[in-house]
Amino acid sequence: MKMPPALPRLIALLILVAVPLVEHNAYWLHVFSLALIAAILALGMQLLLGMAGLLSLGQGAFYGIGAYVAGALAANYGVPFLLTLLAGGLAAAAASLLLVPIVRLKGTSLAVATLGFSIIVHLVILNEEWLTGGSLGLMDIPKPTLFGVSVADDDVFYWVCLVILVLVFVAMDRISKSRFGRALSAICQDEEAARASGIRLAWSKSKCFLVAAFTAGVAGGLFAYHSRYLSPSDFTFNESIEIMIMAVIGGLGSLSGAVVGAFVVVLMPEVLRSSGELRMILFGLAVILLMAAGNLGIVGLASLAAAKLFGLFSSARAWVSKPREAN
Amino acid sequence: MAALLETRGVSRRFGGLLAVDSVDLDVTEGEVHGLIGPNGAGKTTMLNLLSGHLPVSTGTILFAGADITRLPSERRAAAGIRRTFQNLKLFREMTALENVMVGLHASTRAEIFHALLRTRFQKREEADIAEKARAALAFVGLTALADQPAGSLPYGHQRLLEIARAFVAEPRLLLLDEPAAGLNASESRHLVDFIFRIRSAGTTIILIEHHMDVVMPTCDRITVLNYGKLLARGTPKEIRADGAVIGAYLGKGAVAAAAAVRKAEAAHAAH
Repeated sequence: MKMPPALPRLIALLILVAVPLVEHNAYWLHVFSLALIAAILALGMQLLLGMAGLLSLGQGAFYGIGAYVAGALAANYGVPFLLTLLAGGLAAAAASLLLVPIVRLKGTSLAVATLGFSIIVHLVILNEEWLTGGSLGLMDIPKPTLFGVSVADDDVFYWVCLVILVLVFVAMDRISKSRFGRALSAICQDEEAARASGIRLAWSKSKCFLVAAFTAGVAGGLFAYHSRYLSPSDFTFNESIEIMIMAVIGGLGSLSGAVVGAFVVVLMPEVLRSSGELRMILFGLAVILLMAAGNLGIVGLASLAAAKLFGLFSSARAWVSKPREAN
Repeated sequence: MAALLETRGVSRRFGGLLAVDSVDLDVTEGEVHGLIGPNGAGKTTMLNLLSGHLPVSTGTILFAGADITRLPSERRAAAGIRRTFQNLKLFREMTALENVMVGLHASTRAEIFHALLRTRFQKREEADIAEKARAALAFVGLTALADQPAGSLPYGHQRLLEIARAFVAEPRLLLLDEPAAGLNASESRHLVDFIFRIRSAGTTIILIEHHMDVVMPTCDRITVLNYGKLLARGTPKEIRADGAVIGAYLGKGAVAAAAAVRKAEAAHAAH
């Protein structure tokens, strides 16, 4: 007997839907919305790193590009909410084409090259004042409205983020079970064998970067409305590293893991806030301990534990219901 | 019968060593063509040149009349040249079935867009891919292991799985690099049977193999390489009687040559 695989996902979704009904504190709802946005980022990273094995540290840059494009369109031109999200995603996807010449790089070379990209994008955001507002930041981002109705209230905006997260999750799930997803896994596991099966490496990797960048761009657009003020310091290369941590600690290759990892990365420092200056150290320690437990990640460890418990439960029940032999 | 694959003066140099030295190869459509020779004769290098995993230093490769010398390996795979690897290159964390499904990548079309919307085209193509992959697994007798991770299969089954992944695409030319290595006697006999069945499905085969009990019964013609050069060519019967071939297999120089080529190839791979 096995647990139906969709059940934990369904339960998690119901809990996420119910959060604003239980938690009315504006601050915490704000933090939870940020965690949902981070989860979208982590899902994009999971496509790159978990599926295709591409260690990119450029996701924070695409996040920033999406945020600034969406924010500027909304603040300066009054473009509607959903269109600015789409524009943020498309702008990030277009920017990912700049990485096409380096998709052939592997491992650490790719990581350092994409990190360089993150640094450049941060510098552009910081210094091109006419475009981004420079170090003063981008202000006056309007409240988001959908079909003329404001969705700026903390609970409503949370649900908007949740809907987009679910859409991105379903999209990634469908990609992972498709011809393209199989090609990415094949590339991840053996490039030579993938080529021998007719898979074009640079082409597939470029598409992977494009989809991941689009995802990060949409997340950036949501972030623009979430904070309604964008500062260059939100999009340093550190952001790319946090996104990588989310995908890795949740469980590499697992979509649920990406979501869990994002929640841990966003919420843990908040929960530890009472520990004052120790909180980032505690967070760092937790990351190290989790990595020391192997590469399963939180979701991997949890499902291992659940399977053990479930197995224990099943065998206990089988033992109880076993017909006893008469002596 | 027309030549499916021809090489004209193909050479491959690793530093100072000519691993393949001006080889002319003719493979007729529909035949099983053996490529044999002592260790280090350049057989695997030759296969890598044919599949496009290594570029030639000089020479021309023609496939079905077209010059493919400059085509990268993935384009050659799409054109109908598939291969297996001497040291097994499976997608170890994917299931056996998924491995074979990847083999159909080049002959299928669904894009990301189709997958996102689950279009009718995508669903039909996925069903078709799964069905063909299952048929290929059944062909090599691995149906029961379809959902096992490829890396967890016994060695002999992994070899068969690699053949299934290459064969599922219905290639015109299948390159088998020592498929019998590591197989036990009964698995080897199975392999001989598979080779006959793949051939009767219309696929031309180039077979690199040390085990003469696999080569002799299956091959229509055999090419013998020695020190990277073509040494002899003929039917299994002719090859068995060829004095030069016997000399090459027994000659003392063979061992030294093998060591030199391995070293050069390792250096190249590391580079």
